[in-house]
Amino acid sequence: MTVQSPAQPPGTTPGMPSRAGVSTRPAPELPSFAQRSPMKPRSGWRRRLTKLDEKAAPYAYVSPFFVLFGVVGLFPLLYTAWVSLHKWSLIGGKGDYVGLKNYGDVLAQPYFWNALKNTVSIFLLSSVPQVIAALLIAAALDSGLRARTFWRMGVLLPYVVAPVAVALIFSDLFGDKFGLVNHLLGLVGIDPVQWHKDVLPSHVAIATMVNFRWTGYNALIFLAAMQAIPRDYYEAAMIDGAGRIRTFFSITVPQLRATIIFVVITSTIGGLQIFDEPRMYDQYGLGGADRQWQTLTLYLYQLGWTQKNFGRAAAVAWMLFLIVIVFAIVNFLVTRRIASKGQR
Amino acid sequence: MTSRSTRIGAPAVPSRHVVLATLTASLLALSACSSASGGDSPSTQVGSTSGGEQVTLTLATFNQFGYEELIPEFEKSHPNIKVTHKKAATSNEARDNFFTRLSAGSGMADVEAVEVDWLPEMLQFSDKFTDLSSADVQGRWLDWKAKAATDAEGHLIGYGTDSGPEAICYRSDLFKAAGLPSDRESVAKMFGNTWESYFAAGKQFKAKSKVPFFDSIGATYQGMVNQLEAAYENPSDDAIRATDNAAVKKVYDQVVQAGIADGLSAKLQQWGDDWTASYQKDGFATMLCPGWMVGVIEGNAKGVKGWDVANTFPGGGGNWGGSYLTVPKQSAHPKEAQQLAAWLTAPEQQIKAFQKVGAFPSQKQALESQDLLAFKVASFNNAPTGQIFADRAKAVTITPYKGTHYFAINDAMQQALTRVEQGAAPQESWDKWVADVKALG
Amino acid sequence: MSTSTLRRGSRLVRRTQASPTAYVILAVVLVGSAFPLWWSFVIGSKDSAAIVQDPFSFIPGGHFLQNASTVVTTIPFWKALGNSIFVSTTVALFVVLFSAMAGFAFAKLRFRGRSGLLVFVIATMAVPTQLGIVPLFIVMSKLGWIGSLWAVILPSAVSAFGVFWMTQYLQEALPDELIEASRVDGASTLRTFWSIALPAARPGAAMLGLFTFIATWTNFFWPFIILDPGNPTLPVALQQLQAAYFVDYSLVLNGVVLMALPLIVLFVFAGRQLVAGIMQGAVKG
Repeated sequence: MTVQSPAQPPGTTPGMPSRAGVSTRPAPELPSFAQRSPMKPRSGWRRRLTKLDEKAAPYAYVSPFFVLFGVVGLFPLLYTAWVSLHKWSLIGGKGDYVGLKNYGDVLAQPYFWNALKNTVSIFLLSSVPQVIAALLIAAALDSGLRARTFWRMGVLLPYVVAPVAVALIFSDLFGDKFGLVNHLLGLVGIDPVQWHKDVLPSHVAIATMVNFRWTGYNALIFLAAMQAIPRDYYEAAMIDGAGRIRTFFSITVPQLRATIIFVVITSTIGGLQIFDEPRMYDQYGLGGADRQWQTLTLYLYQLGWTQKNFGRAAAVAWMLFLIVIVFAIVNFLVTRRIASKGQR
Repeated sequence: MTSRSTRIGAPAVPSRHVVLATLTASLLALSACSSASGGDSPSTQVGSTSGGEQVTLTLATFNQFGYEELIPEFEKSHPNIKVTHKKAATSNEARDNFFTRLSAGSGMADVEAVEVDWLPEMLQFSDKFTDLSSADVQGRWLDWKAKAATDAEGHLIGYGTDSGPEAICYRSDLFKAAGLPSDRESVAKMFGNTWESYFAAGKQFKAKSKVPFFDSIGATYQGMVNQLEAAYENPSDDAIRATDNAAVKKVYDQVVQAGIADGLSAKLQQWGDDWTASYQKDGFATMLCPGWMVGVIEGNAKGVKGWDVANTFPGGGGNWGGSYLTVPKQSAHPKEAQQLAAWLTAPEQQIKAFQKVGAFPSQKQALESQDLLAFKVASFNNAPTGQIFADRAKAVTITPYKGTHYFAINDAMQQALTRVEQGAAPQESWDKWVADVKALG
Repeated sequence: MSTSTLRRGSRLVRRTQASPTAYVILAVVLVGSAFPLWWSFVIGSKDSAAIVQDPFSFIPGGHFLQNASTVVTTIPFWKALGNSIFVSTTVALFVVLFSAMAGFAFAKLRFRGRSGLLVFVIATMAVPTQLGIVPLFIVMSKLGWIGSLWAVILPSAVSAFGVFWMTQYLQEALPDELIEASRVDGASTLRTFWSIALPAARPGAAMLGLFTFIATWTNFFWPFIILDPGNPTLPVALQQLQAAYFVDYSLVLNGVVLMALPLIVLFVFAGRQLVAGIMQGAVKG
């Protein structure tokens, strides 16, 4: 059975229920198949069938995903690629083939680079604190608490509030003149922050919305994985006299390596595509009068739907796609590095 | 005022609506070409039914048209027709559905309401709608109202319902506190009927009060630019002329001078959270004010006394908002649908709708009606809004041309004005706008 | 079995360690987490005059039920509720099933192109969704599904996140030895999947199902485009509360609370099982 050796990280595994539940069960049922094949020629046929099953089945299992994805994911992606190579008006439809001109046009616009900068900045402001906070919360949840379910469901509360409502509430809080945040800052003698004028404050406000909604969610994912860390490790560490903080860094973090990678990758992908929050941050939804918080997706939207230049918007979509992939790979490598360092 | 009034529908998250609305408009084009290649033809037009046959019509509206009690009345007088009323919340949502179904070639109601802001877009596809012109309704509407719904071939595509003639709303209590005349006649005189005189009144007010004179230069600009016949594009070939149009630059300079240099603007962008909150905090003393804005002010300014309406509008008349009823060719009963639309937009019915929900009529005859002219709003010092907006409606003379780039250019302009209110140098912000427009290509 | 006893023992050791710091951290987090919902409740329980006049009050008013009944009668609430339950449940089931299947294959079966396909799945998450809407609309138009709930279900039923999640999960939760044993025994992959992989996947699947259900429940953008105002899901229906020229936020935020309520009920009834089950499955083993 799989008694985990310390060298083998358990990853995202919330549990090993298979050990207790399943391992005992299937054994008596399964042999019947093999025993019920007395005739030699049939067993050849059967073997071939089994072979076929082994060869084909994996594809059958992944096929529902890929078939559906082909319709609702791949087709749009390829369609977008095709659009990006044409002059294409949203109202007027397809125009001439222009090769990579849309890409060149977009790269030559300073707004593209501004949007890229904003995207990365908001992404860093949201994902880094988020992962750290989620780890801390998960660790707190992982200690023997009273009323565990209450606390666990509690941290998931922000997730049940619709993003539209979150944006509605938070944009009210961050009003420049009459918002609650500036009101409170005023009480302690701090000048009002220009949340909708200055670049960094606007990024902080938007990152706050993101962090609000996703920190608890990620904490639960971490918690699930923490629960799978064999308790003996902690015991051993404690016998060695390691403190709480040391065990956290020398056992918990390395053991969560795969989960951390998972969370970092998914939040990279989500974070770079951030759309709802910046869009609903003011009443115009274009990322600020001076594009202070215009992210790449907002830029894409402005090109496509305000300017009706679908060709350029498609080009941005494809570049964003490539940027996200590059970021995901870099993050994967970096995270793996950091997490495995702790292990050594 | 496309960009602004598209936002009225849902001030909280309006940007989405703008985006969605434009989106569906464009979906239309996209699936129009896809369905052309697919070869499925949406022409389901059936010859109109003859008299006695029982017919069920669907009517699609949005927001509040005030038709709830009119429909049973219509059914009573037209026993062979039953009406199902489908109501969308916002005009933007309706617009979305409208274009979605138009592009899909099916699923539209027999009578579809269309807001003035998406009318130009819709007119590009006027061949998909029944020509409603008929002797019965000839001359029913104010000229500009009917003209806006007439396509290049002279077909009347929509019957006008309500409209949004603009006056100026103001805080009489603040005027009084500043030692200025505060009754609506004197204030109207003080505002005068040019932008120069309105801004001069602002300076007079500013000398005696700490409260800013108007809400934002963006909103004020919108009222001004809408009086230019062809601000951004040439009506003849739709080519962009915005950056070379001296009239646009003049309006820009004038509003920036008044709002920023002379300090008249509260710098509160319309529909923003600060703007909404400012009604409770003496945020500003006046604003450009179409008829339906009275309800917005009433809601936001609950408990605040002193709002009133001055019967004037600088630079001539102005209109903001209003709708039409159309009959898509998809309808299987175009004749009965036209009957319904004609009946609902008749002056008698529109007056009832006005009394019910405040949808201000666009019919000439309705503007003469005593029921309308006697209408007053209690929370606005009993202002005779019926009379005032009737006068304002008659003052509207210009139907500004809005082409395919209007939306993007005007949005960029609103951003430019916001930048100025946030402290950018006016010339710098203008140059940025010019660059933005040039980059549209 | 000895490991398991040992672990249970050490669990006890740790339970005594729950420090006050943990409670303090969690209490702060909980207050922050509950704030917007509380705020919505506060606003949603006042009349519209009270909220414009005193926007920073944290004490609820007495109009919650009155506002709620206005909300329920203004919009097709019950129809929308039914639609939302149907759509969210169906999507959650599809996502869990398809993801478990694909995750099983990726985690435990050997086949040509496996790692390539897995990378491809992860890459699909990087596709910016905003632009996909136009081609997706064309697909739905071709299928004749405009206005249909299936037009909402289908695009959500494919979740690269889910596949990624189940792959990671099964990799650890399902020992290779078990798969090997069942193969040696001559079981078909279908049987292996059904009686070995699925039960092993249950805790991970429960969590994925919960997350998917909530995400679908709160999804607005695409349903808003594709659905009829007469046949909406809850977020689409609630949007109608922002209809008038003057928006009454007491109703809008009342609606926000009403929409969150079923999820909170779900938490209360299923939450204990879901969360406790997920977490304790790990320890009990």
